[in-house]
Amino acid sequence: MKVIETKELFKTYTETEVEVKAVNGISLSFTEGEFAAIVGPSGCGKTTLLNLLGGLDKPTSGSIIIDGKDISSLSSRQMIDFRMNNIGFVFQAYNLIPVLTAKENAEFIMNLQKKPKAEREARISELFKAIGIEGKENIRPSRLSGGQQQRVAVARALASKPKFILADEPTANLDSKATTELLDIMRKLNEEENITFIFATHDQRVIDRAKRIINLDDGIVVKDETEVV
Amino acid sequence: MAWRNIWRNKLRSSVVIMAVTIGLFGGLAATGIMKGMVVDMVKNTLETQVSNIQIHNKDFMANKEVNFLMKNTSEIISKIKTDPVVAAVSERTKSFGMASTASKGIGVIINGVEPENEKKVTQLFNKIEEENGTYFTSDKKNRIIISENLAKKLNVKLKSKIVITFQDYEGNLTGASFKVEGIYNTHNSMFDEQNVFVKKTDLDRLLNMPENTSHEIAVLLNDFQDTPETVERIKKAVPNYLVEGWYDIDPYLKLTSSLITYMLFIFMSIIMLALGFAIVNTMLMVILERTKELGMIMAIGMNRFKVFKMIMFETSMLAVVGGIVGIVVSILFTWHFGNVGIDISEVAQGFESLGYSSVMHPVLELIDYIEVIIMVIITGIIASIFPTIRALKMKPAEAVRD
Ligand SMILES: Nc1ncnc2c1ncn2[C@@H]1O[C@H](COP(=O)(O)OP(=O)(O)OP(=O)(O)O)[C@@H](O)[C@H]1O
Ligand SMILES: [Mg+2]
Repeated sequence: MKVIETKELFKTYTETEVEVKAVNGISLSFTEGEFAAIVGPSGCGKTTLLNLLGGLDKPTSGSIIIDGKDISSLSSRQMIDFRMNNIGFVFQAYNLIPVLTAKENAEFIMNLQKKPKAEREARISELFKAIGIEGKENIRPSRLSGGQQQRVAVARALASKPKFILADEPTANLDSKATTELLDIMRKLNEEENITFIFATHDQRVIDRAKRIINLDDGIVVKDETEVV
Repeated sequence: MAWRNIWRNKLRSSVVIMAVTIGLFGGLAATGIMKGMVVDMVKNTLETQVSNIQIHNKDFMANKEVNFLMKNTSEIISKIKTDPVVAAVSERTKSFGMASTASKGIGVIINGVEPENEKKVTQLFNKIEEENGTYFTSDKKNRIIISENLAKKLNVKLKSKIVITFQDYEGNLTGASFKVEGIYNTHNSMFDEQNVFVKKTDLDRLLNMPENTSHEIAVLLNDFQDTPETVERIKKAVPNYLVEGWYDIDPYLKLTSSLITYMLFIFMSIIMLALGFAIVNTMLMVILERTKELGMIMAIGMNRFKVFKMIMFETSMLAVVGGIVGIVVSILFTWHFGNVGIDISEVAQGFESLGYSSVMHPVLELIDYIEVIIMVIITGIIASIFPTIRALKMKPAEAVRD
């Protein structure tokens, strides 16, 4: 089942002196349960593409269809709610709110969705167990390691059961042990619960674990390989 | 969350909250003291001199001559006394003349009063210290009460004799010798120097005043706030003469007391403006620092309205917390010193000549606090507009880019 599909997607930045065609005609689709990495040299348009997929930015032309619906037709207000209910985000840094505890960060979206307390508690304790940070519930992010912080961010992204998770360089600030642990957890969630992950990365360790690798250069897909099991 | 955000940078938030607290306290304490002084002065002036309402012959007010008197005053007084808001009435004969001793002569207003009625209307009898004599307890003729100031100037003591010279009803120059029975001090040196008091019966006799006449009728009400309506009623009952409320008799009093209301407002507005800028500046810094975080929050699904509410809350809390502390401190200050008083006689000697007491009792009313609370809230809201707009302009896609 297709969760997200792009058709002839273009994004051109015109505010700069020279026009930058960051995404230059990309048609892609992702199905449920993918574990895909968008890779390529710096400046090739990975972040731009991911932001378009996540509705954080509007394409110059082309369409993005999520669950059969073209999200470019949504108003920015509707877009925020759509993001909240359908897409999970994990960023490279500044993922967590420093004044909230790990648990409060993880349930942040469920709170925005006004989910009942019992449901939140159950979901968070289940997730904290799955990502291996039980016992850290009431600790503020500043006292968690970088790897633990990213795991809380994954828990938050997963808590509201989104259709897919977009992660832009989630391992860029982590050492190799934390990177391996985080990837193990995500891969396990992908395999056991069929959760769809889409990464933008140039981290070889991520690329090694990906099931599908999409190579970008100058805003176009140059190679798209799916590992054959 | 917004509440915790305030305490993120404890030092910075505390400094802003402190600034608001001190600003409010400063403004409130200053206006409280000024208001207290004015209230004291107004009360003191009304009690010792003006009373609440006075009635005169119209021409007497223009040229103070003994001929311009009011007739049938006992009938007028009985009429006024039927009004339930009236507490007491007294009538006075007034004359202008010279008080002299062997060494010196000073121009004075001679007030002829009916001691028993006068005591109910004005508190001058209370302004005589025990060692300074009495207020017309003697039945003897030609007793006079003068102020401490005048006694010093004339160089007289209790039981000294003073000669008073003035024009009588027919225009003849006459004089009489009076014995000092009491020496008062109202702490208003201008009033004190000008006014001497004798019994109306003595003065009437010396002036050859016709029967049942006087120059001034003074009315005290149970509550001086009722003055305007009562003036209107008395005007109808006594159409021939000039009826005035205390604010007409002493416009300076009215001016000062209405000025103080504006003072509070102007004072607090200036303080609030300064505090508002401090808050805006702080919050803009806060938002700049938190750009990435706010972008992330918006990216994962917090809508603009919630972000708006959060920043608004954070900003106005700085004002409100500081405001509450400032107001509480001010209430305690006004309450404590309102009872105890602040003695400034050491530093401000000329003060009493203006009619102010040298012991200040700060006064603030509920309405003043309400006014200030409203101003704090408005400042908080206005101050949060700019930071909030700045926060909302942020594009999450740009904020989350590294
Ligand atoms: N807001 C913007 N305005 C103008 N140009 C931009 C903007 N954002 C990105 N670009 C340009 O678009 C191109 C693609 O940028 P993008 O951030 O998508 O690259 P990337 O593949 O994520 O790079 P990196 O690996 O360094 O993160 C770059 O040339 C960049 O300079
Ligand atoms: Mg990037």
